[in-house]
Amino acid sequence: MKSFMRFFSSVKLAIVLLIIITIASILGTLIPQHRSTAEYAARYGQLAPVLVRLEITRLYQAWWFIGLLFLFFLNIVVCTLTRLSPKLKRAFRPSLEKEKKRILALKINAHFSRNKNLETTAAVVKNELTGKHYRLKETQHEGSVFLLGRKKMLGLFGSDIVHFGLLVIIIGGIFSGLGGFRTNINIAEGQTMTVPQADFQLRLDKFVTEFYPNGAVRDWKSTLSVLDEGKVLFDKTIEVNHPLSYKGFVFYQSGYGYGWENPTLHLWVKKSADPSYLKQLKMKVGETAKLEEENIEVTVIRFVPDFIIAEDNRVATRSNEPNNPAVLIGGRRNGEEVFSAWAFAKYPDFGQMHSNQDHDLKFEFKDFEAAQYSVIQAAKDPGVNLIWVGCSFLMIGLCIAFFWPPREIKVILKKTNGKTDVVAGGIATKNREDFQTEFEHMVESLRRSK
Amino acid sequence: MNESTVFLITFILYILAAFFYFAFLFSKKETIAGIGYKFAFAGLIAHSIALVLRTIESGHAPFTNMYESLSFLSWSAILAYVVIEGKFKIRKAGPYFMLIVIGLMALASSPLMPKEATPLVPALQSYWLWLHVSVTLIGEAFFAVGFITSILYLIADSREKKEGPGKSGLSAKRLDSVSYRCIAVGFPLFTLGGLVFGMVWAYKAWGRYWSWDPKETWSLITWFVFALYLHTRIVMGWKGRRSAFITIIGFLAALFTYFGVNYLLAGLHSYA
Repeated sequence: MKSFMRFFSSVKLAIVLLIIITIASILGTLIPQHRSTAEYAARYGQLAPVLVRLEITRLYQAWWFIGLLFLFFLNIVVCTLTRLSPKLKRAFRPSLEKEKKRILALKINAHFSRNKNLETTAAVVKNELTGKHYRLKETQHEGSVFLLGRKKMLGLFGSDIVHFGLLVIIIGGIFSGLGGFRTNINIAEGQTMTVPQADFQLRLDKFVTEFYPNGAVRDWKSTLSVLDEGKVLFDKTIEVNHPLSYKGFVFYQSGYGYGWENPTLHLWVKKSADPSYLKQLKMKVGETAKLEEENIEVTVIRFVPDFIIAEDNRVATRSNEPNNPAVLIGGRRNGEEVFSAWAFAKYPDFGQMHSNQDHDLKFEFKDFEAAQYSVIQAAKDPGVNLIWVGCSFLMIGLCIAFFWPPREIKVILKKTNGKTDVVAGGIATKNREDFQTEFEHMVESLRRSK
Repeated sequence: MNESTVFLITFILYILAAFFYFAFLFSKKETIAGIGYKFAFAGLIAHSIALVLRTIESGHAPFTNMYESLSFLSWSAILAYVVIEGKFKIRKAGPYFMLIVIGLMALASSPLMPKEATPLVPALQSYWLWLHVSVTLIGEAFFAVGFITSILYLIADSREKKEGPGKSGLSAKRLDSVSYRCIAVGFPLFTLGGLVFGMVWAYKAWGRYWSWDPKETWSLITWFVFALYLHTRIVMGWKGRRSAFITIIGFLAALFTYFGVNYLLAGLHSYA
């Protein structure tokens, strides 16, 4: 137990841990996290299995990283506690220094003699100290006066308050990690969703996407009704940065998506030889339209929102975003295939046509309509309030530690042949230059005063 | 007058400030450094006006793209310098510091940085944008002053070791203490703006206060380095060279958090 305490009370351990955690964190930013095994294999080759094995690919959740944080946590606890009791004693049960030598050994000190008796000098010294807001303790003994002036002693505990805040933050993080969950819910207007683990439901009444004049998205707004067994309790419109909080759950507007199950597609049919020819079609996937004069039946075979040729040379969609919408159109005459063609909404000139029989048709994919749904993130985070409490302690502690430096002045006055011998010394761990100036001013004014 | 004109005037004032500071470096006349300081101060005022104009013109906080962000960083840097110089009289740091600011301003005005104000993406429409970015960058600006004084410390220290304590101006001891003061101001600001406000905003906008996003992680790394600085200095009594090296590493980490992460690592902070 004793060696355990000694090990964890060492500041050197704290520094070693800080350095290791820092290096590990850097590693985690250099190696992309949470990617697929295939991607790691492509990127790092033979090194990939090692990275996966050591959990460097999910570093911040890795047992060894969490273990390091745990050691760090213990280190902070033990370090703070072992240093606390001497500080508490210094703050609340200070002892008066009776040894002249010890005061003169302080880095900031003064030794001089005043031409006045002990009582007057003591009064002047006390007056000087209280004038600079020092609180005094004193005792007298055989023709000597022992004084201790102190101020801003709370400053001693700034670092402890910071450490306490950090511990609360780490505990909050553990609560978030163990008890929290978050999930994305895709919901269309009019739909009701059951919230996992909750005893209420949400209904999306309205979903709008607002745009800037240049076409960029300004905001998404979802009007949600909170339902309890079908009864509407209240409604609220959420948008990005303005979530809905209810019963420990928070609902965030996280984005939108297109329902690609049944989009309406706008196709233009043209002829190479006849520029005046134009037929506009409005179709869904699977539907067929007849071009009478050509005796051709046109069918929309497939739609993809983000066209790509995958590694196996098949057409696939890269994402659910309409980055490169494309349709596959098939043409048949008397039951026989005449052509099949890919048309691209964004690249009208890149249409690909595969023809088996003669024809003169060209297709342009002009536009599409798809239902948009709202993407709402439902989250429960039982640690988050602890995080804010911890952050408050952290900030209060930092302000105290940096801007509320404790000061102590120890004085011994001794009667010597009608004169008074003054020995004074000051202790300041921070902002020593300012303190030295203050101390010297006080000594100077003591020397001059009558 | 529009923002780009005032920005140009600011730039010229900073160049004049740098000119006088360098003239001071060679002539060693305090009054010339005083003129440099006045130009830097005038630049700060002009720059503040430019930022206000930018806010009015764009209708949002003046740090949503790289140009705005660099301009605001320069402003913060000058602010930090004017404060530190006003309190501690570190005139010798002036020329080098102005050089950094001019570098930042030049980068901001370079054609690489798109200048047109673009409308804000939904995630950035929050008053936390103001709090998070401004406090963080002002904190980093104090790290920048500490970085310069630390480099000057290393130079002064090796000179003093060879020639004994110098007569003129800044002693190594004083530079060491000024560096500490810069970090004593920068560290709480960076903690508040970068980490605490960042977490609050992340919770409001993304639904989680911490995601180990590269920018978040690098802010934490920067924070760790300065925590290391404080512990080695206050508890273990490290001062001088070792402290100066840690400050330099800390500033470089802050710089990487600001620049490097955007260009080299992908993540949630992709917009700025």
